[in-house]
Amino acid sequence: MNKSNATIELKNISKQFKKNTIIDGMDLSVKAGEFLVLLGPSGCGKSTTLRMIAGLEEPTSGQVMIDNRDLRELKNDGHTIAMVFQDYALYPNMTVYQNLEYALKIHKVAKDERQKRIENVLETLNLTKYRDRLPSQLSGGQKQRVAVGRGMVKKSEIFLLDEPLSNIDVQLREKARDEIQNLHATNQQTIVYVTHDQLEAMALGDRIAVMDQGIIQMIDVPENIYNNPANLFVAEFIGTPQINVIEVEYKDSNVLFNNKSILADQNLNLKEQKYRLGIRPENLFCSKERQNSQDLELTVENIIDYGRFVQLSLVNDEGLTLKSIVNTFEFNVNEKVFVHLKKATSLLFDYEIGKNLNWGNYE
Amino acid sequence: MFKKINLWHILLILIVLSAIVPILFMVSNSFKTLRDSYGTMLNLIPTHPTIKNYLLLNKQVNLLGLTWNTFLMATIVTIGKLLTGLLTAYAFRTYQFKGKMFIYLLFVATIFVPFTIVMIPNYLVISKLNLLNNIWGVALPQLCDATGIMIFLKTMEKIPNTLIDAAKIDDIPKRKIFFNIVIPILKPSIVSVGAIFFINSWNEYVWPTLILKDKASFTLPLALQNYISSEGGTNFPLAMALSTIMVILPLIIYLIFQKYILNSISNSGLK
Amino acid sequence: MHNKNKKILPFLYLLPTAILLIVFMIIPIIYTFYLSFFDWNLIAPTKEFVGLRNYIEVFTNPVNQKVILNTLIYIFFLIVLNFLVPYFISLIVKFFIKKMQGAYKVLFFIPSLFSLVVGAMLFTWILNPVSGPIAYVMKNLGMTMPNWSNSGILAITVICFITNWKVFGYNFILLLTGLGSIPTNIIDAAKIDGIPKWRLIWNVILPMNRGIGIYVLILTIVQGLQYVFTPINVITTGGPYYGSSNMIYQTYLNAFVLYKTGTSSALAIVTFVVFLVLLFIEIRFVEGKAKKYV
Repeated sequence: MNKSNATIELKNISKQFKKNTIIDGMDLSVKAGEFLVLLGPSGCGKSTTLRMIAGLEEPTSGQVMIDNRDLRELKNDGHTIAMVFQDYALYPNMTVYQNLEYALKIHKVAKDERQKRIENVLETLNLTKYRDRLPSQLSGGQKQRVAVGRGMVKKSEIFLLDEPLSNIDVQLREKARDEIQNLHATNQQTIVYVTHDQLEAMALGDRIAVMDQGIIQMIDVPENIYNNPANLFVAEFIGTPQINVIEVEYKDSNVLFNNKSILADQNLNLKEQKYRLGIRPENLFCSKERQNSQDLELTVENIIDYGRFVQLSLVNDEGLTLKSIVNTFEFNVNEKVFVHLKKATSLLFDYEIGKNLNWGNYE
Repeated sequence: MFKKINLWHILLILIVLSAIVPILFMVSNSFKTLRDSYGTMLNLIPTHPTIKNYLLLNKQVNLLGLTWNTFLMATIVTIGKLLTGLLTAYAFRTYQFKGKMFIYLLFVATIFVPFTIVMIPNYLVISKLNLLNNIWGVALPQLCDATGIMIFLKTMEKIPNTLIDAAKIDDIPKRKIFFNIVIPILKPSIVSVGAIFFINSWNEYVWPTLILKDKASFTLPLALQNYISSEGGTNFPLAMALSTIMVILPLIIYLIFQKYILNSISNSGLK
Repeated sequence: MHNKNKKILPFLYLLPTAILLIVFMIIPIIYTFYLSFFDWNLIAPTKEFVGLRNYIEVFTNPVNQKVILNTLIYIFFLIVLNFLVPYFISLIVKFFIKKMQGAYKVLFFIPSLFSLVVGAMLFTWILNPVSGPIAYVMKNLGMTMPNWSNSGILAITVICFITNWKVFGYNFILLLTGLGSIPTNIIDAAKIDGIPKWRLIWNVILPMNRGIGIYVLILTIVQGLQYVFTPINVITTGGPYYGSSNMIYQTYLNAFVLYKTGTSSALAIVTFVVFLVLLFIEIRFVEGKAKKYV
């Protein structure tokens, strides 16, 4: 199948439900053939956004454009858009085969063509055995595949998925994720995928749009979302364990915590005021001996062994709690630990609004 | 799109009107003189409003007695059906015993028993008990109805098992579980089912027709029947005055418990 | 002691209902079955055994044949007025309008609160061929209103409309609730697939709502035939010449007007057997339905 040509563009979209603003002046453009993930906590408006793209909800103001044409002017021929729902929404009185066939039949796709497409999809999704079963006779994972299959047979330009994996067992989830990735690789449809699972988002998305409170906080490739989050919300939402945040002050070319310097840099273009310093747990460099006068001194409160890595919870009597991920087993509970920070692996955020300040470098 | 929606509303509003307008005319006519009821038939507001019909009605029949009879019958039926229904549904919910499924299907089956098949024997039993022309005699056959049991069963199914289990672990006697846990949870459905029972019995026609022959024991529907004749010789303002008196109580109950009542009816049909 | 209590207690709870059911339903059904083989007049000290003669009369007597035919006509009108029309309207309210759904529910239900005697009175007034408002309007338009009480089929129609006035809102709510339990995601999915609404209703919604649909359909027949008893007795007493009577009303007439308990009982048993067939269908499709779509 050729790469999809369909673009999606949201222009200054707002959506209100009974005076509650769900989406607030959102702009978003999805490139043709792109896999875009909408990621955010529950209630952030990501599903509403998807439903507006699908035409299931009317935006209170703004425009949804598909291929540069207003969605409202598009005739729903059941061909442009396919969607997979969280609880699958299979027609309960129809067999797997009939579920896949129904929309095609209604839109008068020729019988041979129909059969070919459905057999093909059943084959790809490993559903051939179940073609004559009713949805009630399928497992969660099978239902999910039928739901995806129902979207696939339409060969639509745009494929929308609303948390399609959240109702299936963890063990199956990874497999289903790979399946969806393969589908995109072969079919090159424009995909908008809603999830609250950051791992899913990182694994699947060409780009990720992180949403909160009806606003896109950041939209970028997964790598940048993780390493260079636009603000504190994105930084805290992505990554487990969460990013460590320390309230600091910048003074005389030094980053101070409790009036003690923890980082020094002569060339910073920063005002002398309070900031928040974010450090990912894997970027806290721990050692048993003090290496540097700026090292923070903490005590190991507890250790969780995840097998692949070890998570340390560190505290000190100044009320600081930090999480660190290390690959060694040299640390013990109640022992002293010295933590070294590096500017290159730390993020500086505005104290009030949480914006990532890039250490004062603005491109 | 917009125009189409409006068209459906026109149809729906017509249905509302056909449901409500007859009742409005009924109330309106009950305040019209006999002559106005013919002369200004289509006027919803009486031109010469009068309460003469009500006064005349009160002379012809014992309004207070009729209302009391109806009220008493409906109250007995309501309380009786609530009690038996609650007890039975509770036994079903909490105990396991043989023949449960059979008894359940028997309850379902009662809905399919036409009153004609029990009519003669019940008449004979009531007359043997010397309860003809008696409010108890007309209430007893009405008690035999499983719809209450079915609704209560459905509501009780929604009480989580863990709640009952928790009470059992705390060693609370079943009688107390029933009165302190089950009943309070069921309160809204008891109120609404009670309201439905009361209204249905208030309007009951079949059993009073069979059991009550003496005018002193009449209920309101029976009295109203005497004011209707198909030949057209009816004094409609009088009949409408009596009807208006009859619909006040059900209407008040509905206004107060409307939300609960509609919920219960929805539940009664959900299988 | 405690253990013994445990076994007795559930039956104690069931006892009041059991007594009522046995005394006022089970024994009466058996007794009516017994009476259907006898000739009796409700008062005489002796009953004469006549075998199946009462049943033969149910099916051979021309009046009874007419009544059975009327019953079928009633069933037809009841299904159309009290089942199909409310079903159609509930589909409209559920899928074709967005606002006022709650208000329609509340308003449609109001006539269900009132006695069928009130309904009968109102409709004899509205449809009064001489002095009713419809006759009045028709007269002003130069038309005359037929005297419907002189025609069996017209009387049946009017009587069915009276029950429709009362039952419409009730059935509407039952059916609407059934439609409401269909997941909205399925409707959304169909919208995205560009499936026309009526196609979706026909292919998906109605099959999904089949359980409640059959329940209300059967209820419409079983209760409807009993509901019409009231307007028949109040307005036509079965006339003209049994033209508006049905099996239920004929059973009553035979017992309490003609004092022929044998014929009455045979009619009742035949009605009951028909209802039992409907009960069987109900159990088959409704009580067992839950398992299928879970």
